[in-house]
Amino acid sequence: MAVDTAAGRSSRTLSGSLGTRLRRFGEISREVLRNPTTLIGLLLIVGMVAMALFAPLLIEPNTPNPYQMPRDWGALNEPPGTPGHILGTTQQGGDVLYGVIWGARTSLRLSLIVVSVTVVIGLIVGSLAGFVGGKVDELLMRLVDVFLSIPELIFALAIAAVLGPSFGNIILALAAVFWVKYARIIRGQVIHIKQNEYVDAARVIGDSKLRIYMKDVLPNSITPVVVQATLDMGNVVLIGATLSFIGLAEAGLAEWGVLVSQGQAGISAGRWWASTFPGLMVFLWALAFNLLGDGFRDILDPRTESKR
Amino acid sequence: MTVSHAPEAEIDTTGAIASVVGLRVHFESKAGRVYAVDGVDFHIRDGETLGLVGETGCGKTVTARSFLRLVPMPPGVHAGGSIYFRPHQPCPECAGTGCEVCDDTGRLPVPCPVCGGEGCETCGGSGNETIDLTSLSGKALHDIRGDRIAMIFQDPAKALNPALTVRSQIAEVYGQHRTEEVLQRAGLGSAASMLMRRFVSQRSRLWERALLAMPPLRKKRMRVERAIDDMVSAALAETQIPNPGNVMARYPHELSGGMKQRVMIAQALACNPDLLIADEPTTALDVTVQARIIELIKELQARRKSAVLYISHDLSLVRRVCDRVAVMYAGRIVEIGGTEEIFANPLHPYTRGLLAAIPSRSQSRGQLVAIRGTVPELIDPPPSCRFVERCSYAVAVCGEVDPGLENVNGGHRVACFIHNPPDMAVEVPSFSKVTS
Amino acid sequence: MQIRDYVLRRLMVLPILIIGTSLIVFTLTRIGGSPIGIYLSHEMTQDEVAEIEERYGLDQPLPVQYLTWAGGMITGDWGWSGVAAAPVRQVFPNKLGATLELAVAAGVVAVALGIGLGTYGGSRRDRLPDHLTRVFSISGAAMPIFWFGILLLIVFWVGLGWAPIGRSNSNLFQSIAHPTGLYTVDALLAGNWSAFVDAVWHLLLPAVTLGFGTTAIITRMMRSSLVETLSEEYVDAARAKGLPEKLVLRRHARRNALIPTVTVIGLSFGFLLQGTVVVEIIFRWPGLGRWMADAVLRGDQATIMAYVMFTSVLFLMVNLVVDVTYAYLDRRVVLGA
Repeated sequence: MAVDTAAGRSSRTLSGSLGTRLRRFGEISREVLRNPTTLIGLLLIVGMVAMALFAPLLIEPNTPNPYQMPRDWGALNEPPGTPGHILGTTQQGGDVLYGVIWGARTSLRLSLIVVSVTVVIGLIVGSLAGFVGGKVDELLMRLVDVFLSIPELIFALAIAAVLGPSFGNIILALAAVFWVKYARIIRGQVIHIKQNEYVDAARVIGDSKLRIYMKDVLPNSITPVVVQATLDMGNVVLIGATLSFIGLAEAGLAEWGVLVSQGQAGISAGRWWASTFPGLMVFLWALAFNLLGDGFRDILDPRTESKR
Repeated sequence: MTVSHAPEAEIDTTGAIASVVGLRVHFESKAGRVYAVDGVDFHIRDGETLGLVGETGCGKTVTARSFLRLVPMPPGVHAGGSIYFRPHQPCPECAGTGCEVCDDTGRLPVPCPVCGGEGCETCGGSGNETIDLTSLSGKALHDIRGDRIAMIFQDPAKALNPALTVRSQIAEVYGQHRTEEVLQRAGLGSAASMLMRRFVSQRSRLWERALLAMPPLRKKRMRVERAIDDMVSAALAETQIPNPGNVMARYPHELSGGMKQRVMIAQALACNPDLLIADEPTTALDVTVQARIIELIKELQARRKSAVLYISHDLSLVRRVCDRVAVMYAGRIVEIGGTEEIFANPLHPYTRGLLAAIPSRSQSRGQLVAIRGTVPELIDPPPSCRFVERCSYAVAVCGEVDPGLENVNGGHRVACFIHNPPDMAVEVPSFSKVTS
Repeated sequence: MQIRDYVLRRLMVLPILIIGTSLIVFTLTRIGGSPIGIYLSHEMTQDEVAEIEERYGLDQPLPVQYLTWAGGMITGDWGWSGVAAAPVRQVFPNKLGATLELAVAAGVVAVALGIGLGTYGGSRRDRLPDHLTRVFSISGAAMPIFWFGILLLIVFWVGLGWAPIGRSNSNLFQSIAHPTGLYTVDALLAGNWSAFVDAVWHLLLPAVTLGFGTTAIITRMMRSSLVETLSEEYVDAARAKGLPEKLVLRRHARRNALIPTVTVIGLSFGFLLQGTVVVEIIFRWPGLGRWMADAVLRGDQATIMAYVMFTSVLFLMVNLVVDVTYAYLDRRVVLGA
């Protein structure tokens, strides 16, 4: 199979492992579809992402900024079922359905940006720590430990507070807090691979450190990173909404946490809809990604696989 | 279609401590019903070591576990048959220490409750109590487990609780089955209160345990603990563990593989069981340790004269330990007989294959012999001989009819048309006719 | 003996982590410029501003500011809270008592219920009770605390008119002494039954809201841990010894299953801490969380720093206790088997 020439080496990367990886992907997809809870998660995600992507088609975007809640001064505090406002309106006349749909778009933006940024940062830091080792590794890991010693929400809260209340700052704050997990995962993988004998074998053949990294470390790390990223897609929105709820986002933003917070005032008067529907969306979003992430974890965890 | 086999009465079953009759254990799985154990018959005589040999998946472990009803019942299903067992009790003459009456074993059969030892229909004339293990549950089952029938498991690292000391794990056996003896030794005797009794038998409630930590009862509890310590220490010493007092206080992971297995053996023999089931006890051990453990088992068995059901996939090992051997294949017994007899004169093609596959120094160098093919799928087995796909002597009838286990000579039984031709006008297989 | 080394090792790393955390916290607050904002008001003159700067040492170079602050943290001077208009140290104990009462109530219930439900579901694997507990645990972990609290409010406060807002009925509150700062305990100590009932009544909704998510994650861990333990060979070996099923479950399965659950219990402490911020806002509970929320919105850096340091140190110590307990329960960890 592996021919000891340059051409042989590159074929080891491409055709062999690409084929197996595609097949694996197919297997995993089938497993996902078979498990009922994971399937529900996937369906929910598809639904909400679709809602986010097609938001402008589903409901007329607000001008000038579609991410701001529209105001209909003639329809303040309307209960659900009012014509034109199926889910009711807020105290400022904002359509709750609008908030739900455009809030999905906001959440999608939030989670995609934060997760991709944190995965990249975590990758860089983790690889650095793992490969270079020594003092650099110690320093970086101490940093990670310190970051982990502050509870997530409180840390993000402090950062967002310092930067100033704005949604963009919430994104920054979350990114600053969430990268550590990935750094740990990647570093662990790098160290594990470094200690593995077949890396020495690869070096003997002449693979450079970069090749080892691309061929061995990255593919093996994909699994835990994918699981964590899926879970984080949900948790980022959860914590982000909490931060907006506390008041760290701009008022009037079409974001679920902001809506729940603003709907609080009407509760004592019996106006339940302004808080309930946006809050429900946060729950469903977090639930969906948690279900999918757990499903991935169960499927991809080698231990549970062999148990059967 | 099966050929019926000779009724049990033909075989000498006196002195049998356990009789497996037509045992069928199946498993419900997504793929279908797995016929893991499908018609198994054999006897174990008191004091003998019977080996149960076969490849992985042949059903030997399921058979063994059925003795103690350790097969999880969904997905497992008891599809038929019984396991008859004649429990013994501590000999009243010597209180279990050994005397002439009990032939130094310390045990005597429990008399049949119906006829009081006279002999009746229930006990088949033997006068001994016979119970069907497959129908036991609740207290009756718990009383047998660990006391009259004990089991040692394949991997002692996994079979011992890592969070408990050796002492507490062996103590559990005494607490459960020898409550009176413990109380006697602690000097509490029959005057012991319900509280103490419950403590020893491990049934104390939460508040009772709190009470026992306090001064007036604390002393009594300490006496009980000392008594148990002595008993545990004695059990460990029997298995030649050096410094039992020290080992008692250790956790399983602090001991070597061989020591762990000795602990398991000590635990199993603590109550002087009538039958010891050893499920591949040396598979997880180093070869050098294996030999010592096997010697230990043989010695203990000889001393106590208890029966042993020895499960293994290794025929050469079984030869050293067992008096009789049963060869299992695809959920059935294909051959059973005295060890030397089987090794000298293997009758079933499978047995021959197994023996030929054992590498030995007398063989010339070259390819190792293997039986071609693999164990068949046990879902929806065909009505043919289960070994037909892999058999070198199979003929047409082997693929249509299932041979039953028949007596060939003495106690040597085999399930093969080569030795028990079907009473039909068909071609008969023979060792001289190699068909594939 | 090796446990002692393990504990010692962890204890030695602790100060480093605390210092590291303090550095991060300090740097954070100085990123957004001077924290003087909260102490100022529009009408102040240049001189007054300069005077305030001097008073709070904000005219000093940063490293000096850090050391002053850090020194103050250790000696007990935690700065002045703009939000509370009082020294942080002075306001802290009262609010701590309120939050503690809430967190402990939620935590105790969460642990007891979580272990119970987890065992219940795990021992009846794949049957109805198991499916129900699994649905509960998955939804509980994803449940936004703020939404859950509001839902409960809507149903129980507005809809049914049951549980009240805030911590207590002020008349009853003032009628008894408060040695512990925990209202329920104080009421019991004073023998004042109606005050106790009042305290519990007020505590109920917020504690349920706070504890819900934690109960869910503990249930989940306990269940999966129990299922895994039950498939271990030593459980079968215990049965083979003739032990009754209840004893096998209790002594072999559940006890071993608790070991990984202990870690989750420790982690969920952080979960609880974070939850107090939101819960206190919704139920108008006068604790640390709500104080922090106000401080955050109004830029009261002294409070923010004190709060973050306090929770981090607490979190670190709880994690240490959890790790030590784990090592004690599972000897293999320490002795490296």
